[in-house]
Amino acid sequence: MKKSWHLNRRTFLRGAGAALALPMLDCMGASAAKSAATELPRRMCAVYFPFGVSLPKEGSEDAKWNWFPRGEGKDFQFTNTLQPLAPVKDDVTVIGGLSHPTGWKMGGHDTGDIFLTAAAFQGSRYQNSVSIDQLAAAAMGHQTRFPSLTLSSDGGVGEPTRSTTLSFSRRGRPIPAMANPQQIFERLFGQGGAGSAGDRRTRLQNTESMLDSVLADARSLKGKLGTQDRKKFDEYLASVRAIEQRVARSQRWLDIPKPKVDASSIALESTQDDPKEYIRTMYDLMFLSFQTDSTRIATYMIGQVAGATSIANAFPACLGLAGNWHGLAHGAGKKGGAEKLGRFDQFLVEQLAYFLDRLKNTSEGDGNLLDRTMVLYGSSNSRTHNNHNYPLVLAGGRKLGFKHGQYVKHREQFPLSNLFVTMLQRMNLPVEQFADSTGEMTELLT
Amino acid sequence: MVRFWSSVATVVAVCLAAYGPVSVAWGAPTPSASADAQRYFQTTVRPVLETFCFGCHGPTKQKAKLRLDTLGIDLVRGPEAETWHDVLNNLNVGDMPPEDAAAPSAAQRAIIVDWLTKEFEKAAKIKRSTGGRVVLRRLTRYEYNNTMRDLLGIDMDYARDLPPEPTSPDGFKNNGSSLGMSPIQIEYYLAAARLALQRAIVTGPEPKVHRHLITDSREVTRSRNRGVKPYVTKRLQGGGEFVAKLREFPRTGRFVVRVKAAAAIPVGSGYPLLSLSLGVRSDTQTPEEQSGVIEVPGRPQPLPQLGAAPAKQTPPNADPRLEQLADLDSRIESLQKKLADKSLPKTEQKKLSDERRRLTRERQKLDRAQRAEQQKRADAANERRLVQPIDEPRVFEFTGQIDQFPLPGHNPKFPGLLVILRNVYDGKHDTVELPGVKQEEGNRSTKTPKFKVDPRLPAIHVESVEFIGPVFDTWPPAHHKRILFDSALRDDESAYARVVLERFISRAFRRPATTADVDSKLAFFRKVRPKVASFEAAIRETLAMVLISPQFLYLVEPSDPSKPAKRLSEYELVSRLSYFLWSTTPDDTLTQLAANGKLRQRQVLEQTIRKMIADDRSNAFAKHFTDQWLGLAGVDRVAVNPEYYPDFDDRLKPQMRQETHVFFKEILRNDLSALNLIDSDFVMVNRALAQHYGLAKPLGHGFQRVAVKPQDRRGGLLTQGSILLSNSTGEDAHAIRRGVWLLDRLLGDPPAPPPPDVPELNPQEPDLAGLPTRKQLELHRRKEACNSCHRGIDPWGVAFEHYDAVGLWRDEVVRVVRKGQTRRSPVEARSVLPGGHEVSGIDDLKTYLLRNETDRFSRALVERLLAYSLGRSLEWSDEATVKSLVTQFQKSDYRISDLIVAIVASEPFQHK
Repeated sequence: MKKSWHLNRRTFLRGAGAALALPMLDCMGASAAKSAATELPRRMCAVYFPFGVSLPKEGSEDAKWNWFPRGEGKDFQFTNTLQPLAPVKDDVTVIGGLSHPTGWKMGGHDTGDIFLTAAAFQGSRYQNSVSIDQLAAAAMGHQTRFPSLTLSSDGGVGEPTRSTTLSFSRRGRPIPAMANPQQIFERLFGQGGAGSAGDRRTRLQNTESMLDSVLADARSLKGKLGTQDRKKFDEYLASVRAIEQRVARSQRWLDIPKPKVDASSIALESTQDDPKEYIRTMYDLMFLSFQTDSTRIATYMIGQVAGATSIANAFPACLGLAGNWHGLAHGAGKKGGAEKLGRFDQFLVEQLAYFLDRLKNTSEGDGNLLDRTMVLYGSSNSRTHNNHNYPLVLAGGRKLGFKHGQYVKHREQFPLSNLFVTMLQRMNLPVEQFADSTGEMTELLT
Repeated sequence: MVRFWSSVATVVAVCLAAYGPVSVAWGAPTPSASADAQRYFQTTVRPVLETFCFGCHGPTKQKAKLRLDTLGIDLVRGPEAETWHDVLNNLNVGDMPPEDAAAPSAAQRAIIVDWLTKEFEKAAKIKRSTGGRVVLRRLTRYEYNNTMRDLLGIDMDYARDLPPEPTSPDGFKNNGSSLGMSPIQIEYYLAAARLALQRAIVTGPEPKVHRHLITDSREVTRSRNRGVKPYVTKRLQGGGEFVAKLREFPRTGRFVVRVKAAAAIPVGSGYPLLSLSLGVRSDTQTPEEQSGVIEVPGRPQPLPQLGAAPAKQTPPNADPRLEQLADLDSRIESLQKKLADKSLPKTEQKKLSDERRRLTRERQKLDRAQRAEQQKRADAANERRLVQPIDEPRVFEFTGQIDQFPLPGHNPKFPGLLVILRNVYDGKHDTVELPGVKQEEGNRSTKTPKFKVDPRLPAIHVESVEFIGPVFDTWPPAHHKRILFDSALRDDESAYARVVLERFISRAFRRPATTADVDSKLAFFRKVRPKVASFEAAIRETLAMVLISPQFLYLVEPSDPSKPAKRLSEYELVSRLSYFLWSTTPDDTLTQLAANGKLRQRQVLEQTIRKMIADDRSNAFAKHFTDQWLGLAGVDRVAVNPEYYPDFDDRLKPQMRQETHVFFKEILRNDLSALNLIDSDFVMVNRALAQHYGLAKPLGHGFQRVAVKPQDRRGGLLTQGSILLSNSTGEDAHAIRRGVWLLDRLLGDPPAPPPPDVPELNPQEPDLAGLPTRKQLELHRRKEACNSCHRGIDPWGVAFEHYDAVGLWRDEVVRVVRKGQTRRSPVEARSVLPGGHEVSGIDDLKTYLLRNETDRFSRALVERLLAYSLGRSLEWSDEATVKSLVTQFQKSDYRISDLIVAIVASEPFQHK
């Protein structure tokens, strides 16, 4: 079955989706979709930013730049910061008070690593555990061409406690994030060199037997290595095995052409030098991968929490806001500092709103893409260095059972993992506990 | 950082503090609570705890269920580590002891905080321990890239898609423990190998060579810059381009472009820069890729003096268009008035507004023409000031791999390959006063690029451009024959494949291939061969398999963990050496040395190392070692605020980084003392940096050694832009960051990281921003939680205060209060270092370092260099080696080459 479609920016600007209103599964080719054919996809996405937010005191002059809304429950008002979410207010819930208690004793800059894992490590021990996206990907990743999509502005894995990825495998190993829009696009939608399906099949078969031979060779090498080396070598073996599985899976997808997306519809040439364009492009890529059902699970780390090494540290300055992100966050207590950081917080929320808007304006089934996509947005610091009271937004997923349009406040001991349990359950995964969870967050559900 | 073991910084005390009294046996760390540590705890730490803590957390009371007097101090394996971590946090945040209880003095607090911090650091080190052995080490991105290039003889960006490398705790990217592997990497390794082999192994007959000689820059309709026609010219200056369109061109292989050109250089400017790009015109964009930039030297000439005003100068208002414009304006205005009358019938309104639209369009057109005319006149005036080339044209050669560039599709709407030459010298770093020349600022809001004639800028006069491609010395090319060499076995595919594989694997695995190596690859070859069209195609697949094998991707040094360390084989030694000094695979000469078994002779080894250092490939060492040791990548993470530094050009950042690489290389290659890193009477600068620092500017853009005097305020690492900028905020100096950098990188004594939940400075304090840095820091240190660390950091950084964020000297600190309004305060760079020594500014600091800190500095350099050479973090078991290396290093007048020889000869380097 051959079907392709062109998406271009103008189409979206015109008001989105209508021009390509085909429900994804129709275009997917029946064979791949069989398993999930009975139901439309459920999707999940997490976006993280470092250094916390501006939290000036209530009643102070700067209070309008406090990230958290005023009021509570259904009765709340956005401050300036979250104002860009106003058009999608009925699709978002702002959550206050949550955190990973496991991170309370960690360094103020160390908690980015556990945002999606809730792992407990401190002092000299570093052992991370599986992140929610990878847990979901392991269970349902086979339904799409790519089990999940891992993005960050810095790319790669970074260092322990300064990871540049949100995703961790089931063994707690960091999964390298992709940062280059061109490369990500090529991976998702590139037509992968010319050649007939037959050629591609031969190549895949070659690859399969090549990996087989490499593994056989490698196993015999392992016996000659020292203990330390073996641990490292296991990483290699596991990686080759994973590729082997991926190749097997590619053969299944071989007859289904990759969706054709017009590259000129996205600013693929954008770089981190232009944060607004860049962040939007990353959102665009996640949007497209959802729209084409190339994956249903994505993470994006806008920046990591090390001022000295994160590319994102320079983001605010590129916008004409003086100072580096880390400095901006530190200066939030100084005169005028709350507004400066607040304006940058707002800028980030504008980009989130852009993403949500695109999802919402793209129809799917009897609703839109956002209705079946949970978007978790937040940081693991409230103020910089402070590992309590994460600023969090949960958006989308109304057709997955979420009710929105509220500001849910919790006492400060409430673990974020409870939200994870609820999210994973909404992905249709039979999860009763995740890491240190003590329950669920049924108050978010209808 | 205040030491708690001993205030006397003898070598022994330093090492105790750094590693703790821990002896590490093979892979079995002993607890950190050794006898010395116990003694220190009992005599020094415990008494303080007893006085201030045990009252509530001791034998009688256990508030919060916490009892400290019976808590063990084994932070490595004991469960008590977590409790101690809480203690440290509470002390750091200032929550304990509570306000109503007796408070410890600063010194008493410090005893506990320092003790715990160091103990945790030690415990972390022990947990990371690899038993003093190098861990199976994957090639880094850049090592992989160089290795593929040298192995296949094809220059391309192999590592483009690989994820960036993590950094080890000591700052290195080549640390085996930190370097991970993931499925996505294997995937991209395989893709890169396949693509490269496609290029390396050719099939088919000798391809036709395309040759074009172009002498005219031709008008090509291109829609670059959204429809703006480029300014096409043979005289390149400012925005002009030389464009040639080739109807016939190769699609694979190497190409050469030879440009015959001469420079016209006005006095005051530097050499112009010739850039070559190749590209295509597609529908809406013109994708192109730059191939390279070459500087075109020449003799500068004074600008011609303009005589009296030219006889026939049209006064500016003589342009008849101006009258027409005025006329149009009044007609539009009257229409506007009529339209304001809402009582007009609809049809009449429409007629009028159509008319208005027509006139407005006409006006726009006329206006554009008028402006163009004006510009033309200005250009003509300037043109008479242009200097002409006085040197004979010379040939400048570019080369590249054609398939790396955007090429037209096979049946394109706009066929042809574009060859584009530009002069990318922009004069931004030249400030030549030139009375009479109108200094027009390019208007950024308009899309139209300004192609102005500016006599102050150097120009390139292009005489001809020659394009040849594909170029090859023989057919098949050398890189092909290196793999598929002539052989009597050629007719027997299987036998030939065996010898081909044997040779290739030996080079790829950096040791002679074993029968088992070859057999398994050959088995794969036989499996693939029937499925593909040619022998070459099957060989490509088989070699791709070699290139994703662990023996290629990792430096494999098989060993028996149950036995003590063994000497490296000759091949392993040569590999370590090659990746240490060249960041790439050993070449034939090195491999031959290993095969001959001569490298164990100290003299041969030493000669080899000196030859390797003299070789240009050692630039990779200077680059990567300084980058990682000194953390130079930091320049890219700091955004310079244009409100503070409107003249700063971000393109200086990579050049600042390069300055440090080149400076290190200069010291290394010329066997200068490494103390030049602390202070030197020369700097390495290019034209742009010389301009930035305010030094005499060389004409060329390459780096040169320039002598400096004290009043230049430059010399050594501490005054280099890379260091100063990367440890700034982009607006102002950052004394804390600079202090931490100095302690960590140059003195090998990194302070502990900031604790969790650091309280913010009290915003109620008198306006902090208005205070000088030194005062701010003093206020900061009044908080005991902060003071315990910062008293050891801040004084070092304050000495740098005379250098602003972008590394320039200043006497005043300038703060932008709001737009256009600044607050100025004098620089205060005087501070008292831990230990009581007072320094005033950077010169004092350098003198102090040279007099008092050469031991710590030597040790830091030795440790970092050793760690880099081994690709692992150092451990307690390396202590003896480090000590002996430091002694040798100091005895050899701090020569880095001697240190390298000593490192390579050392026990850890020679053993696995």
